[in-house]
Amino acid sequence: MRRLFDAVPSDTEAEERAWSVVREAYAHREPVVRRRRSHIRPALVLAAVAVAVVAAALSPPGRAVVNAVRRSIGIEGAQPALFQLPSPGRLLVSGAGGTWVVAADGSTRRLGAYSQASWSPHALYVVAATANELATVAPANGQVHWQLARPAIGFPRWGGTRTDTRIAYLTGNHVHVVAGDGTGDHRLPPSARVAPAWQPETSQHVLAYVDVRGRLTIMNADRGIVARRSRPYMDVRDIAWSPNGRTLALAARDEVALFDVTTGEAHVVGVQGVRTLAFAPDGRLALLRGNGVLLVAHGRVRTLFAAPSRLAGLAWSPNGRWLLSSLPAADQWVFVQARSGHRVLAVSHIRRQFGGEPSLDGWAPEA
Amino acid sequence: MSSNVGALRLDLPVAGDRTERALIRDAQRGSVEAFEQLFRSHWPRAYRAALLVVGDAAAAEDIAQESFLAAVRALDRFDRRRPFGPWLHRIVVNRAIDWARARALRRESFSDVELEAAGEREPSAHARALAEGLALLQPEQRAVIVLRYLLEYTPGEIARLLDLPRGTVNSRLRRGLDRLQEAVRE
Repeated sequence: MRRLFDAVPSDTEAEERAWSVVREAYAHREPVVRRRRSHIRPALVLAAVAVAVVAAALSPPGRAVVNAVRRSIGIEGAQPALFQLPSPGRLLVSGAGGTWVVAADGSTRRLGAYSQASWSPHALYVVAATANELATVAPANGQVHWQLARPAIGFPRWGGTRTDTRIAYLTGNHVHVVAGDGTGDHRLPPSARVAPAWQPETSQHVLAYVDVRGRLTIMNADRGIVARRSRPYMDVRDIAWSPNGRTLALAARDEVALFDVTTGEAHVVGVQGVRTLAFAPDGRLALLRGNGVLLVAHGRVRTLFAAPSRLAGLAWSPNGRWLLSSLPAADQWVFVQARSGHRVLAVSHIRRQFGGEPSLDGWAPEA
Repeated sequence: MSSNVGALRLDLPVAGDRTERALIRDAQRGSVEAFEQLFRSHWPRAYRAALLVVGDAAAAEDIAQESFLAAVRALDRFDRRRPFGPWLHRIVVNRAIDWARARALRRESFSDVELEAAGEREPSAHARALAEGLALLQPEQRAVIVLRYLLEYTPGEIARLLDLPRGTVNSRLRRGLDRLQEAVRE
């Protein structure tokens, strides 16, 4: 029996991949100073506490505490501001401070007081939304092309070809679809509060969304015909198309499912708690789970990056070399090199730059 | 960290003349070299243990890696008077059992094909027979077999690692081994 067990192969490539991730986590850990046992009498303890309180009162107000907290929940050595992006392209972000476009050289342009946005299919325009208004705007200057008033707008998403596009968005519990020129707005069947996604690389206007029963639904949005529908999934958080439009990924509470839309077959990735999905231009799939970013590529799942606190949002650089996520508790953005070396670049004071915590709405190529 | 693993022996020799306790101490003080030596010493068995319990190379890599990340998070609290291996193996095997149970519950409407690990090396006939035999067992049976015959813990140590009665460990070992030997003979 022992010989049989010894015959089980190990995997040195897996070991090297794991070591690069574990080493990164080890490098970012904050060593704890061990307390020694002591027999200090209570009076001395009280005196020490009093001294500590006085010392704290005399120090710059709160700074030491804030710095200590930031060290424990953020990335050490972060740049004090976003001076430039590590890769070419334009980054779209939205939040309490409005919608912004960040250029590769770090310059920012505010497009307006929108709370959500996404790029048009070729990044020539932006669709943005406030709670009750949908608008298409020019990313260069924020000029509004058209507006549409609707209640409780969420998750605007733009898809289609260069000559014929559609925008999907949610109002309440329904998906709506409107043409790229603002005409023909119509309502589809009820939907869960999950961002819909347009199939890329197709001349049809094919929309994937999650219905109120948690079933992934693929529909021709112009004809209103359902092409495929999955079984219900528990607590669906996100869906995303692969860049070639052949695979549709779904993140639910207990699993990630990858659907081959040609055959309808689903492959399950045994990862629980994934909140966000993002495909790289070359088809690698990044999963955001708790403090970590996982990568699915060539049938393997591995941890790409483990942060000291909870991450939010994912955006691939247009060249697929960098992944951006946010560390809200540390007020930082984290750029992780996803090709080789796993370099990590962190940037602090994001809220100050964008007037609030922004969501990552997309990283598009240069115009 | 549970105290009931404290009586377990150190099961892995550590390369060089430094003791594992010294490596842990240095790793706690920030020595990457010491931590890497710990990682290199324990990775092969952690990975193979996970692989034999879940039968999926990608999942095994993830489980072993996540276990080491858990070790990083707990490193400063780790009592270096205790051996590192049993503590790590406890995490690995429990995560692997959880993963195997969850997979058994997941069934797709169209297909239930797990992602196959790409680039996996061709296993030997013995290893393949072992993997096929283990696949016939319950995850809990696989775990005790792996702990006994790969990681070489005694039934008493396995009972403490998995918080099980010793009799349960013995019965799982006996039944699992019977089925496994039948499968391997075939």
